Amino acid sequence: MTIRCVVVTPERTELDREAESVVLPMFDGALGVMKGRAPMIGRLGFGTLQLQTAAGPERYYVDGGFAQVEGDVVNILTARSIAVDLLDSDEAHKALADAQELPSKNPEQMQLKETAVRRARGQVRAAK
Amino acid sequence: MANARALDKRRKSIKNIRKITRTMELIATARYKKAMDRAAAATAYTDQITKIVGRLAAAGLDVAHPLLEQREKTNSARVLVLTSNRGLCGGYNGSVLRTALPRIKELQASIPNVTIDVAGKRGVNGLKFRGVETDEQHLGFEDQPAYDEVEKIAESYLSRYITGEIDRLDVVYTRFISTGKQIATIETMLPLGSLADEPATDADDEQSKTEYEFLPSAESILEEVVPTSFKVRLFKCFLDAAVSEQVARMIAMKGATESAGDMIKQLSMTYNRARQSQITGEIMEIIGGVEALEG
Repeated sequence: MTIRCVVVTPERTELDREAESVVLPMFDGALGVMKGRAPMIGRLGFGTLQLQTAAGPERYYVDGGFAQVEGDVVNILTARSIAVDLLDSDEAHKALADAQELPSKNPEQMQLKETAVRRARGQVRAAK
Repeated sequence: MANARALDKRRKSIKNIRKITRTMELIATARYKKAMDRAAAATAYTDQITKIVGRLAAAGLDVAHPLLEQREKTNSARVLVLTSNRGLCGGYNGSVLRTALPRIKELQASIPNVTIDVAGKRGVNGLKFRGVETDEQHLGFEDQPAYDEVEKIAESYLSRYITGEIDRLDVVYTRFISTGKQIATIETMLPLGSLADEPATDADDEQSKTEYEFLPSAESILEEVVPTSFKVRLFKCFLDAAVSEQVARMIAMKGATESAGDMIKQLSMTYNRARQSQITGEIMEIIGGVEALEG
């Protein structure tokens, strides 16, 4: 009872393996996917992708993007995918501080700032 | 007849240059293959994005987004010119600049505020020589442009576009069509126009009948798809430019190596003739001397 999980970034196919279950960091919370899930397209947030494989759990930080579930394949399109062990907690905290310094004088700038802060928060959470 | 020693010296120097050009050709070939692989990997991503857009359209969603709409009045525009950092790649940079200049002139005539950004030292120098002022200069892109770097540039353009600082973005780059054909092209990236590169084919009609669940909603996904597809498209331009540069260099260096071979052949012939005539001259002198002694 496994499901195939494929992570694609613009540079290469980052990950392609079988897993028992996949937990996707959706835009509005985590979503677990197991074999036989109905087809879906979802928007990812900034957070941790968790795979439960035969070899044990694996965790990756993903930087937004989309997830598509079709048949027994989970396709994840993201700008960046980093194994959680390789994330630097200090750097993430610094990114968060930088993001909070951004100007927010008009609605557009506010939106940009919000995205930057969300991304940095996701990194901080994943790096723990 | 030229001096035999001088000819030999010249021949040696050409041989050395031939060694260099041949090595450069080999390096360009290796880099071209690597760059090609990366471009192929990016295609996997763009294909998926196009599929998602297709599904969104199939679900009956009206594909509308601020980035897709033409602005009523274009007050300021930016042009990004993608060139290489190094020379010795034939007409690669020349053709990009030749394509870019008329467009820049045209935009400057119709739009009050036009700014030019360049990637690549060759473009910076080429535009300076032609009297075009440039604003941002990106010099860090080699044969393997990193997505992170391109994304930063893309994001700066996006935020400028959203905040109304620019109303239009044109990118001039060399499009890679095949190993034998690369064309310098201009693409208007912002506003994006349409999302899909080509209308969805009927090939995966079967699949698009599947009902999809959109989380959190189709609109929210669209909101994210549009900027992503802009970023990926810009990245694709950089990749294409990198591949084209390597192909251009490969072909230019191949030509140089062949020309060096021809020149060496020519010089060898002249050298041998010069040597022979020198020997003949010396023999004549000896014979003349002997005859003078006998007489």
